[in-house]
Amino acid sequence: MSGLRADGFPEEAVRARARAGTAEVFPPAGEYGAALFGAAPAPGVPDALDELRLVPPVFMPRRLERLIDLGREPSYEDVDLGTGIGGFTSRLPLYLSAFGSTRAGSGDLGVAAARQAARLGIPMVIGENMVPVHGYGSSSALLERVASYAGELPDGVGGVVVQQSTEDADSEVWNLLYSDPGSRPLRDSGRLGFELKAGQGAKPGLGGMTVVGAAEAERLGGRFAVRDLLGDPDGRLLRCATPGTFTEEIVRQQLRFMRNNFPLARTWVKFHPGRDIARAAATAWAAGADAVTVDGAEGGTGWAPRVFLEAAGLPLGECLRRVGSPAGDLLASGRMWEGGRAVRALALGATAVGLGRAALLAVDEDPESGLVRLVEAIALEVRLLVSALGKYRPADLSPEDLWSPRTPAPGPAPLPVPEPS
Amino acid sequence: MDQNTPPPLGEHLRSPRLRSAMLVQQEVLYAAREFLRGAGFVELLPPLVGPVTDPGGRGAKALDVDYYGQPYKLMTSAILYKQASLKGFPRLFYIAPNVRVEPPETAGTGRHLVEFHQIDVELAGGTRQDAQEVAAGLLTHVVEHVWTAVPHLLRELGREELDFAELRQGKFDALTHAEAVARLAAHGHPQSPDAEIDWAGEKVLSLEADRPFFVNDYPKGSRGFYDREDPERPGVLRNFDLIAHGGYGELVSGSERESRYAAIVTRMRESGENPAKYAWYLELAREGIEPSAGFGMGLQRLVRFLTGLDALWQVSAYPKLPGVIAP
Repeated sequence: MSGLRADGFPEEAVRARARAGTAEVFPPAGEYGAALFGAAPAPGVPDALDELRLVPPVFMPRRLERLIDLGREPSYEDVDLGTGIGGFTSRLPLYLSAFGSTRAGSGDLGVAAARQAARLGIPMVIGENMVPVHGYGSSSALLERVASYAGELPDGVGGVVVQQSTEDADSEVWNLLYSDPGSRPLRDSGRLGFELKAGQGAKPGLGGMTVVGAAEAERLGGRFAVRDLLGDPDGRLLRCATPGTFTEEIVRQQLRFMRNNFPLARTWVKFHPGRDIARAAATAWAAGADAVTVDGAEGGTGWAPRVFLEAAGLPLGECLRRVGSPAGDLLASGRMWEGGRAVRALALGATAVGLGRAALLAVDEDPESGLVRLVEAIALEVRLLVSALGKYRPADLSPEDLWSPRTPAPGPAPLPVPEPS
Repeated sequence: MDQNTPPPLGEHLRSPRLRSAMLVQQEVLYAAREFLRGAGFVELLPPLVGPVTDPGGRGAKALDVDYYGQPYKLMTSAILYKQASLKGFPRLFYIAPNVRVEPPETAGTGRHLVEFHQIDVELAGGTRQDAQEVAAGLLTHVVEHVWTAVPHLLRELGREELDFAELRQGKFDALTHAEAVARLAAHGHPQSPDAEIDWAGEKVLSLEADRPFFVNDYPKGSRGFYDREDPERPGVLRNFDLIAHGGYGELVSGSERESRYAAIVTRMRESGENPAKYAWYLELAREGIEPSAGFGMGLQRLVRFLTGLDALWQVSAYPKLPGVIAP
């Protein structure tokens, strides 16, 4: 090096790329499985959802309705959080998001999360690529999670939703599961669903990515693109799934196919935060999807190129704004971990919100009850906020409950002051 | 005896009823070959395993085979090979064995076996109408032959010649899928307009008919990617089922085929398939597959229709019912 400098230019990043090449496109390979990734908002700057303030009114006609119902003043404890989510009955407007095939999400933590989600009576989504990566059979990661969930699920609530991607279609995951005797009780009680995965928030437009060792790379090489791009001294490689090709007609027909072939299963679809999200969601609902999941650009992941985490996809708040008043169940995920963000998403039209990274961290903190406690805290905050807004069901929330500092709502014309009587 | 439960295999093989059914079956096969060869079709023997098979639907699965380390499938139908074979055989047929691991709840329909055979026919340059004429001619010829060759067997099994009178005169009815849905709705039977006619619905329609009838124009999304979409009516397929009267239900599924490469790839995506799996077939399609039409006629369903027996297992020597472990 000659000591050449370029002040004000990302000199260090350029030099790092000059040294390591494609490895610099990704987080350090050694962090795979030990860290969870996702877009980090700029310090001190809330994202499009968190910047909205929840604004309780003074006059609360719905509180009066509740007062009349109860014959006493309602409190936050009178908020009914029971919610229909994509054809299931849930005790809370929450569900467990897919963790995918990443190491962090598919091992013991995934099983612990499944058990606790069942105890909470909330639906659980199981990610794509579980079968091509981990196989299928009574001891497979997929069936273990289904069995753990079903084993603790109270009657009449919850449900399991299983994703299938292009590579999963080769393994016919839905077909295997639909006719599996182990999942029959869920299926026959209307608590089995399938989610068409069209994308994810952390890397919109790309398929699933994981980091694999040499032995696993050999095993998966026939089904996935496995490439030496990480410059890893331990020989780890990047495994890429394809994102799949979607058009309006492909989404419509795939949903019809799902409903036709698996009539007892609920039909969900998950989109990445694409600029045409409103049209995508409308297409899916019109084709009979029981739920549309929108994963905002803040969504978590086990692995993604840095530039996607930093620069690609619409923020969840903007996705919800574009979708507007939803024509069916709308599920929102992306950086959910506390009640305020959840209530903001619900007020923007979401039916329920998904917990991904927060759920994994919670079960990592305490595999027995960490998620249950986290959810209890979120549920309390949601009850407090919803009641403060003068409402007693999440479905009653609406954009009027939010205020944006960027686009202040035009105030109504001043009212005439009542005449003194 | 409970019609849903086959007896132990030895007892089944000894039963006079099975013997009668097998004698009818061999007349059916004789007559089918006679008719098709007479119409210029060449009989080929179908493959048993391959890298892909008909993706099927309604929850039926293909069985996996480890083929020198490659994941192969047992044929659920030989449709892709039929299309490929048109290159050398513009009119061809198979008597094709198929294996479909049907969902266990179909065990009680009387109409599903895991192992079964199809009289599988394909004609290059054919339209749906051409395929329907061959199917109707084949069915008429087979029924005529069996009533002529072994009428005593049919009568012993309780069949009446009068029930086949319209059919033997070559009379077939036709309606569209949309009309079938409307007719079922009028009966109070809920039937999705986007899906195949369900088994119960098919039975309702079959019971009120006095002759076989075609159901045309199934909606896209209810059938495989190889059924051709009507260029004049997007979303409607140029396909058909042939349903037997008297409650016996579907005997035949057929269609004009999608033969244009880009249309096949797009339709694969629409049915959730990974086109890369179908590499050999798509390579042929890129070179150019003959436009064609064809159908598969279920052999056991045809024998059951002729014999009037309650369930398909009664017309199979080695029945395997969905979800039931059997030798």
